[in-house]
Amino acid sequence: MNQTKKKKLFKYDNVGILFVLPAFLYMLVFVGYPIVKNIILSLQDVTVRTLTADHKPFAGLQNYIDIFQDPVFVKSLVNTLLFTVCCLVLQFIIGFLLALFFNQHFSVSKPVRGLMLIPWMIPITVTALMFKFIFGTDVGILNYILTSLGIISENIDWLTSTNTALFGIICANVWIGIPFNMILISTGLTTIPKELYESASIDGAGKVQTFFKITLPLLRPTIESVLILGFIYTFKVFDLVYVMTGGGPVNSTHMLSTYSYKLSFEMFKYSKGSAVANVLLVILMIVGVFYLRATKEEEE
Amino acid sequence: MGDEKVIRGGKNVVLSVLAVVLLCVLLFPVFWIVVTSLKTEQEIFRVPPTIIPEKLNLSSYAAQVENGDFNMFHSFFNSFVISMGAMVISVVLAVPASYGIAKYKFKGRKMMLLGFLVTQMLPVAVLLTPMFMLFKGMHVYNTPIAAIIADATIGIPFSILILKNYFASIPKELEEAAYIDGCNRFTAFIRVLIPVAKPGVMVCAIFSFLYAWGDLAYGMTFIIDQQKRPITAGIFNFMGQYGTKWSYLTAFAVVTIIPVALIFIFMQKYIISGMTSGAVKG
Repeated sequence: MNQTKKKKLFKYDNVGILFVLPAFLYMLVFVGYPIVKNIILSLQDVTVRTLTADHKPFAGLQNYIDIFQDPVFVKSLVNTLLFTVCCLVLQFIIGFLLALFFNQHFSVSKPVRGLMLIPWMIPITVTALMFKFIFGTDVGILNYILTSLGIISENIDWLTSTNTALFGIICANVWIGIPFNMILISTGLTTIPKELYESASIDGAGKVQTFFKITLPLLRPTIESVLILGFIYTFKVFDLVYVMTGGGPVNSTHMLSTYSYKLSFEMFKYSKGSAVANVLLVILMIVGVFYLRATKEEEE
Repeated sequence: MGDEKVIRGGKNVVLSVLAVVLLCVLLFPVFWIVVTSLKTEQEIFRVPPTIIPEKLNLSSYAAQVENGDFNMFHSFFNSFVISMGAMVISVVLAVPASYGIAKYKFKGRKMMLLGFLVTQMLPVAVLLTPMFMLFKGMHVYNTPIAAIIADATIGIPFSILILKNYFASIPKELEEAAYIDGCNRFTAFIRVLIPVAKPGVMVCAIFSFLYAWGDLAYGMTFIIDQQKRPITAGIFNFMGQYGTKWSYLTAFAVVTIIPVALIFIFMQKYIISGMTSGAVKG
């Protein structure tokens, strides 16, 4: 029914494409072409010498075989997964609790919730610097606080020790992710009809019961999209790690993105770097399919 | 939980205080770098740390105006040029594209929409080397144009996906009225539809600017001369060379936040609307 209405208004259907074409071509040249180029690169053997040459030696799947035998790559893959899961769980729980808290109507609930979005807006390079400073061994306030509370007896090398560096990065990333989770869940909460809560309380349901029987099930679409978007965003983390630790110490915090960057732009093994990036891309696309399915339902 | 009940009295006070405390905890890192940027280098390393600077020290800011290679105001200006450029390209291309997608049916519409959705999920790592080669070939490598072109690829898909919903929600009667008044498709789009979708256009402009402003990967990969680099890459360089000069570093960081803070203060409603539209941050 909707379609016939649309047809009535727009006789020249294909006129629409003229509006979309400039943006589409732009993206095709500057994103589409690079994606294809990156796949080709990963199947060649490109170094500094062959980067600008016309003929680049074909390497087949050798780069992929090589990287999967590279312990740093495996470490990066594990790190990326671990990092993503930890961040998602923490930021989701904290974001959810904050959303529930600010969903109550008290005097300052709206303006304070607005101000809580600030972490999400700050350029990631600045966030990385901020947390590097807080987690600093001698200069960092975290060590000072923990020492004065008697929790630790000597300063911890948070970001320069292989045991704790990833933890520091996770903290910084959770800080960025909290507002995003909070605001999306807050929006989701407002779509739940009030009548449901009223009738639940008439039926004598307690707060906990209401939460698990009404809030959680009705929030499912929101929760799904928050988690999928969160996964995509967290899994491709680059700036934060690159600035905070650069993948170190001793490669302990390398993510797929930072390791790919290191291979390409510090070691000039462009093809290996591309192969690592493609592995990252494939994982993102698999998760992306879920995202597309969710938005498709919304479209139709 | 989801009820509209307004909380009053003692409970209201308790919740409000708790909310402010939570906010202070969350925003402590930001407060901390602002305070640190106003301290002297000696005071920064003092134990116990001072919460308020003993003596207001603005020399960290002043020093960098003079310092040639790491002039942060120069970097600031570079970032501004790059972000404005990326914003203009994003808006100019995304506004008509989102209108086309929202209001017309044509061959390849679904495919194009899918394309824009997918580009939002791409990791920079996939694009860096090919873009690097492409920009070398175009002779824009190591110029702001390279960063502008690359940053706009983040702004465009985001803007299209946001604006599409704005255009879709505009009643078709409005457009029909414009045709009766003698507009054709293009003049109707420019004179009638864009003004109505203005809040959406604002969201796109703001986010395209912010994405470009916050970008580090493109800026540092495609621009190598420190003089031409954006402020984020400037901070990164500075960290590499003067790793523990926290007074300068934090001053650098505060300057980087200023435009973000201004946008936040004056355009908060657009930001919430942009965030809730299902955005993946660059």
